[in-house]
Formats: sequence, C-alpha cells, structure tokens
Amino acid sequence: MKFEARELVKVFPAPVLSGGMALRALGGLDLKAGPGALGVEGPNGSGKTTLFKVLAGIIAADGGMILAGGEAAGAERLRELAAYCPANPRSFYFRLSAEENLRFFGALAGLTAAVALERAGRLAERLGLSAADLLRRFDRLSEGNMQKVSLIRSFSRRAPLLLLDEPFRGLDAVACGGLLELIKETAGDSALLVSSHSPGLLREAAGRIIAMEAGKIKNGDVS
Amino acid sequence: MNNTHLLPLSFSLQPSAFPLIAAFIRRDFLTERSYRLSFALGALATLANLAVFYFIGKLFGGSLAAELEPYGSGYFAYVFTAQAFFGYIGTGAGSYAGRLRLEQTQGTLEAALSTPLGILPFLAALSAWNFIFATFELLVYALAGIFIFKLDFSAANWPAASLVFLLSAACFAALGILSSCFVVLFKRGNPLAWVLNNFEGLLGGVYFPVAVLPGWLLAVSNLLPVTYAVRAFQLAVHRGAGLSQLKDDLLILLIFDLVLLPASAWLFSLSVKRARRTGTLGEY
Repeated sequence: MKFEARELVKVFPAPVLSGGMALRALGGLDLKAGPGALGVEGPNGSGKTTLFKVLAGIIAADGGMILAGGEAAGAERLRELAAYCPANPRSFYFRLSAEENLRFFGALAGLTAAVALERAGRLAERLGLSAADLLRRFDRLSEGNMQKVSLIRSFSRRAPLLLLDEPFRGLDAVACGGLLELIKETAGDSALLVSSHSPGLLREAAGRIIAMEAGKIKNGDVS
Repeated sequence: MNNTHLLPLSFSLQPSAFPLIAAFIRRDFLTERSYRLSFALGALATLANLAVFYFIGKLFGGSLAAELEPYGSGYFAYVFTAQAFFGYIGTGAGSYAGRLRLEQTQGTLEAALSTPLGILPFLAALSAWNFIFATFELLVYALAGIFIFKLDFSAANWPAASLVFLLSAACFAALGILSSCFVVLFKRGNPLAWVLNNFEGLLGGVYFPVAVLPGWLLAVSNLLPVTYAVRAFQLAVHRGAGLSQLKDDLLILLIFDLVLLPASAWLFSLSVKRARRTGTLGEY
C-alpha cells in the first residue's frame, strides 16, 4: 500500500497560562512512501517523531492530509493501518513478562493469544531475544532487550505502514543484523519508515533517505 | 532464511470486545498478583473496616435511632449494608480515573491508544478487573455479615435490590468516566473525583441516614444519585420494599443513567480527541 502526506502541519499549543509559545513541529510537509523502506534523518527537534506519530494516528494533524492507497485516511483509519515503534521502550507494563506484554498488546491490535505468542517467538529468534528473556519480567530486562520487545510488538502486527523511530538504539550487533534483515523483508510488502542518528545503519536499512529540518523535508524529496 | 513476516499481509481492524476485556482482566490480575502482600492486605482491610462499625454499633446499643426507623435496622446493619453497596458501586466512580492515571504514569496509555482500539471497548475493559475485585469484596462482606456478624437479611427483596444495584452501578460508572476526562485533559487535579471522594459518603447516606442532615445540606444531598441509590437499596434489603415502593428512587436513578451514560462516553471521546490534537496523550 502506498502512503502519501500532503502539506502536513502540526502545531503544539503552549500550555494555557504558561507564557510559552506554540511549537510548529511540522510545517507543511510532503511525503510519499511505500512499499519499501524510507530512511528519515535530521537533527533533534526536526520533527521526525511528530511525523511518525501523525502517520500512526496517535496525534492528529492540524492541517494537510494523509492518503492511504489513494484514499484520505483520518487518525482512526491510520491506527488500523500503522504500527509505531517508539524511540523509548518505556511503554510496557513493567510487572508483566515480555511475553505477557506482547500477548496483551496483540489483543489490542486484534490478534488472538496464540497468534501473538507464535509471532513473538519467531520474531524474538530473529532479533536474538532468548526464550528465557521472553518469559522474564519486563523491568528485569536490559535496555537493549526492552527495545527488542518493542520492535517485536510493532513487527508482529504486520501492518501496511510500519514506523520505526530510532529502532537501533541499544541493540547489539547481532540484533542490528537481525533487524536489518527484518526491515528488508518487511519492506517488500509494507511501507516502512525508519529514523536513526546512525547514518551507516540508516543507509543499510533504507535505499532512499530523506532529511528533515524544522518540520519539513530538507532536500525537497517527495518522490 | 526464516521468512518470519512473509505471511499474507493482514491489517487488524477493531478488536472485538470480549477478547479485549479478557486481555485487560488477565493483565490486571497478573499485575495485582505480582504485589502479593498488597493483595492480602486489601482483603484484611475490608474486614477491619467492618469491625470498626460493628463496635460503634455495639457501643450505642440496640436502641433504634428515629432516623433509622424507616429502614427497620440497627446502626451496624445499616452501615454494613451501605458500605457493602457503596463499596461496589463506588468502584465505577473511582476506578476509571485511577486506572487511566496509572496508564499515564506507566507510559502505556499512548501505546494502548495507538492501536485500533475503540473508545467504548476501551472503557468497558479498563475497569473490568476492578469490578471483579469489587464483586469478590462484596462476597466477603456478605459472608462476614451472615457468619461473623450474624445479620438477618430474611426480609430482603433481592430482585428489587438487584435492580437498584444495576441502575446505581451504571450511574456511578458514568460518573467515573466523566471524572477520567479530567485525567485525560489535566493529568492531575480532578474536581469531580474530589467531590465523589469527599462528599458522596457524607451527603449520600452511606454512614448515616441523610435525615440527620440540616435542611440546606439535605437539599444538596438530593442532587446526588448516591442518596437515591443507598436509600432504595437499604429499603429493598431491610424492609423488603418492592418496585411500587421504590419507583420514585428507581425513576430518578434511571434518568441519571439515561443522561450520564451517553454524555460520559461522548465527553471521554472528545477528551481523547483533544489530547491527540494537543499531543498530550503520552504526557503525565
């Protein structure tokens, strides 16, 4: 499925009575993606995470539109179509095992327990997460293993749009290799956006790279 | 190469409600179980709380206060029934905001609401565990009332009491959903929860009949659904009151339900939409 963003605008209002100023995170951004992997780079605060969250339907854009398969897609539709892997894996239940977390978030995405666990097992193998770590309580995992669980949650949805925000963060070399393979395989069917501050890994992951600056695409690449 | 993901491309639509509710219940049970001491102490606290009122009732003897006469019960039987009842229906009032706040501080709210999950199934599932635990507490109350405190419920009209129970639980769940809108929008600072926590017990007849209140407070008490809920439940349990005797209270509870249930779901949906627009869904 092809995804297209036209003139996307996102402005975060300043908190009421804070005396602060509104933040224009996306300033009329145009983008075409998929199928295939698209790398997104840019300095901190350039709008990468906001772009990913808007495409995932987590936050609503203030202007512009998003097309999915040529049809306008609102935030609700985008939450059905997109899976988002956040840069920070602190979005799990720390008192539950990794496997229980994946089973729970699988249910939220409409997966049966059997399917969620089967996919979790296979993806864990690919990313070098041991069966023992899958059964370990989430707060007892290392940062890198937490990141693997976060990646498994996103990949297991098999969504037409996969948004990976800093997916290599904290991963060891074996896991990075496994993730690169998964990205290549998934990119055959899905639109995949990857952001990273590692230029080398980003170029290995994606054939096409766009650079963001101040909420827009720097080199004007919308192809 | 192990083609892990190369199965037919499927994108999930909204998950159906029952597996979803089951997933939330399982998650919350496993989380509660991981805090074993808290789990056990919670059950003990229920019994300790009851013992306080038992001894207060003993202290003031069997003499029936004039305000208790309509209910035909002593002070302990009155407060026992109201506590058990309010403990359950109060779950709806408190648990939505509490659960939502917990999700915010854990960082899981944004993750949960970034899936195709709809607002109504989310609300139905969010507090399911709390209602199950409240049912367990209610059972503890019932067994303690019968076997430890030797209370007599032989006059009770259980079908009428069940109807009061259902209407009241729905009404308080709606108040709880309204209260959780403040959590979504303002994170901390919840005026509705403040009112529910501090005034429902005082003005709703949970610890004493509202007849003891001065006239101006009685007028405020008459604005609260808990007043009608507790009175109707007490009358059904202790006096065996039927639908004809309870019709006024039941009608008022029904009106509260018809207004509050759709309004609360709509306002919650608007709150989440606003949080998505301001980008504050993941903030705490």
